[in-house]
Amino acid sequence: PERSARVSKIRPPLHQYIRKLLFSDLDKSSIEHVLRQLRKLPWSECESYLLKCFMKVHKGKYGQIHLIASLTAGLSRYHDEFGVAVVDEVLEEIRVGLELNDYGMQQQRIAHMRFLGELYNYEHIDSSVIFDTLHLIIVFGHGTAEQDVLDPPQDCFRIRMVITLLETCGHYFDRGSSKRKLDRFLIHFQRYILSKDALPLDIEFDLQDLFADLRPKMIRYSSIEEVNSALFELEDHERSFSSDKANSEKQSDMEKHLSSTTS
Amino acid sequence: MKGPLDRTKVVIRHLPLTISLSMLIEQVDTHFAGRYNWVSFRLGKNSQKHQTYSRAYIDFKRPEDVIEFAEFFDGHVFVNEKGTQFKTIVEYAPSQRVPKQWPKKDGR
Repeated sequence: PERSARVSKIRPPLHQYIRKLLFSDLDKSSIEHVLRQLRKLPWSECESYLLKCFMKVHKGKYGQIHLIASLTAGLSRYHDEFGVAVVDEVLEEIRVGLELNDYGMQQQRIAHMRFLGELYNYEHIDSSVIFDTLHLIIVFGHGTAEQDVLDPPQDCFRIRMVITLLETCGHYFDRGSSKRKLDRFLIHFQRYILSKDALPLDIEFDLQDLFADLRPKMIRYSSIEEVNSALFELEDHERSFSSDKANSEKQSDMEKHLSSTTS
Repeated sequence: MKGPLDRTKVVIRHLPLTISLSMLIEQVDTHFAGRYNWVSFRLGKNSQKHQTYSRAYIDFKRPEDVIEFAEFFDGHVFVNEKGTQFKTIVEYAPSQRVPKQWPKKDGR
């Protein structure tokens, strides 16, 4: 046949070197070395390529994603702009994933969830980014005409995304306001889960592990009605808590009373 | 942590691939010159699998400017030379972090 052999991509030496560092040299023992080599690069020339490579976390080993997060944190001490760009980029990838809901991107999307969680573990982002992302995942596209394409009842992929993120960094949300935020999210998450058709067993088992791990005492609700009343109670509690606080502030006081008597 | 009322960083999504940073700045500066501290631009790409849009991040000086900017720019339609329309989306950036003004020089 006349077909020519597949031509492999020819990359400039600098790009080849970056790829070698990140995709073949990097492991637990070499990370210090890799970080030092990356710092020596001509940054003005290769920052955007580096960013591109950092987003390829799904191409490497799943267990090594934390190394890329660690490198991000290490590099941002000297290249803050890069550290900021990595976070913006991962969040954009997650958002695009939700917008397209493309089956072929699933592996990549899971890797990005893991990466986001690891960025939190390396103290590169704060918990508000994690919670905003969790909430985005369970509401995105809901109530729109596209809901059946973006998140049909038999599609459990978003549950997988949440499990992955919380497996990675959920154990840090065990005190103070982040504990309360996780408690609250998990109830919303339960409502989301109940809105799905019957769960495949593997997902159900992973959920059981996740709850056992993070909140062993939390009730798993079995109906939407139960979870709704739990949410109502929670919101009621939060409202009275916040109106207590507002009592000293004159302005919002009236408003709070009005809303608590009407609901 | 920043509350909803002091967020200053926005993301502008769904920009056409043909737009450049300078073209965007020109548009922004018609009304917002001098009212932002930092801009970052990401060129989209046209691959066979997925076409991605271009995107920009802007950090405004004051939270009020964000509201005004969104009113001005959200839903703004760009038309490329082929006549394709791009309707931009302006949102608060999910991560509000911006680079510090004076990063440490890496002595390496």
